[in-house]
Amino acid sequence: MFIDKSMVKDVVAVGPEMSIVAARQIMVQKGIRHLPVVNPEGILIGIVTDRDLRTAMPSDVLGHAENVEAQRLASIQVKDIMSKRPVTVSPSQTLEDALLMMQIHKVGAFPVVDQEGKLKGILSVRDLMRAFVNVLGLHDPGVLIGIIVKDEQGQMKKIVDAISELDISFGSILVARVWEEGKRAVFPYLLTNNVARVKKHLCQKGFTLLDPMQWCLDQGPGSY
Amino acid sequence: MKRTGLLYDERFLLHKTGDGHPEVPERLTVIIRAMEEADLLSKLVAVPVTRAKMTWIEKVHAPKYIHRFEEACMLDLGELGDPDNQICPQTYDTALLAVGGILNAVDMLMEGKIDNAFCAVRPPGHHAEMMDAYGFCFFNNVAIAARYLQLRHNVSRIGIIDFDVHHGNGTQHIFEQDPDVFYYSIHEHPSFAYPGTGREFEKGSGPGFGTTLNSTVLPGQGDEEYKQKIAKELLPAFDQFKPEIILVSAGFDAHTADDMSDINLSTEGFTWMMETICEMADRCCNGRIISILEGGYALSVLPELLRNHVEILLGIKQLQTESERRSHVH
Repeated sequence: MFIDKSMVKDVVAVGPEMSIVAARQIMVQKGIRHLPVVNPEGILIGIVTDRDLRTAMPSDVLGHAENVEAQRLASIQVKDIMSKRPVTVSPSQTLEDALLMMQIHKVGAFPVVDQEGKLKGILSVRDLMRAFVNVLGLHDPGVLIGIIVKDEQGQMKKIVDAISELDISFGSILVARVWEEGKRAVFPYLLTNNVARVKKHLCQKGFTLLDPMQWCLDQGPGSY
Repeated sequence: MKRTGLLYDERFLLHKTGDGHPEVPERLTVIIRAMEEADLLSKLVAVPVTRAKMTWIEKVHAPKYIHRFEEACMLDLGELGDPDNQICPQTYDTALLAVGGILNAVDMLMEGKIDNAFCAVRPPGHHAEMMDAYGFCFFNNVAIAARYLQLRHNVSRIGIIDFDVHHGNGTQHIFEQDPDVFYYSIHEHPSFAYPGTGREFEKGSGPGFGTTLNSTVLPGQGDEEYKQKIAKELLPAFDQFKPEIILVSAGFDAHTADDMSDINLSTEGFTWMMETICEMADRCCNGRIISILEGGYALSVLPELLRNHVEILLGIKQLQTESERRSHVH
């Protein structure tokens, strides 16, 4: 799954000479937190975030045009405060790349650039979230169940077979890796209201269902 | 004693769902038998059953969907869109009769012939969306009743209380932009239960923002949490909204004996909840309530639950004193 399928293509970018006051206005108007900075050829040369702007211009001087401090701020340009070498991704990198890179670099968005360095789009946490809400099937009516199985090959097939025998569709299946030693937790999201029948069937097949109050997908920072 | 209408017809049994499906005709037969044995039927006013006029169904559902439903039954396709929604050739007619009966109950109530009513109908309705059947539901009974109250009887503020253990996604979506219909639902938290909607941050949209309210209950919870949430969330909201009539989506699957959910509401918990709703209705809308059956699948407890439900509507259920009820809450 390539980044160019999920990124925002109609990206709002600014030139390096724009004043930071105008840049902030654009962010507020568009409801965005990252502004890629491009030169006249469309080559990415930096990025400013709402945090950069808030650091540069304390909110108490905003809106007072006659204020000396405000006039000083109006003279500051985007290029003076932007991050000059932002981490970028290419359209042919993947969502998994972006997800792992966000963990490493602790940023909320990546400008997407082609081989020439031209800005092609932006991929933010929001785009990843939208993709994962879709993958989880959260917009389809359904119900999650939790099954604990041995961490060995063939378990998933047994679960899928057992549920498919009941003619029930899957919205998604999650697997939680960090569980107890030698076990995995499998969470099928099933597109059915008839959950009692599924649970009964799985128990008859020898599966162990998890108490929903014990469900978790990971066990917090430091567990990996 | 109040004049309580009862909607029931043996034709509601003709909708068959097949093996392994919990929404079975026996749900109604055990309920009616229990009322018979408790000598309740003679105390109730029979609501006549007629097929609903298409014009009212179309106030909620798209004609394209209605035709698809009718055709699927005619062709005996077995299911509508999903194996959850089992159909037989009689399902379409049954659903039309259920809606028609409910609208008759609405007329009787608005004409002052009854004070309130219970509608023992199948199929249920609250998951049905404008364009789709979901979760055993085909026509959204309660939503059509609300639209009928607005358009036929000019009622300007309608309250819907949905205590089925599953969130009524269909009803919420149909009214989420309508400031004149307040949809309140209490249900198992959507991360653990079908259909996955009804999160507490869902509060309606546009002009309807603020007239949708969801209370969620976690697996294993029961009476205490229901009492707290209803007291703190439902009652203040409805006291402020002041509905002119209350429609209840009455599902009984939050009962501890019902294996369709992880919620442990007791028989007494259901009694407390319905008494509380009736008291509120007495306060805000002359006791006008139309209660419509949704889910509830444990045949062992449905008789007692529904006998209590109807006795509360009639006002003949031995009332707990206020202090007894308070001690129950804390």
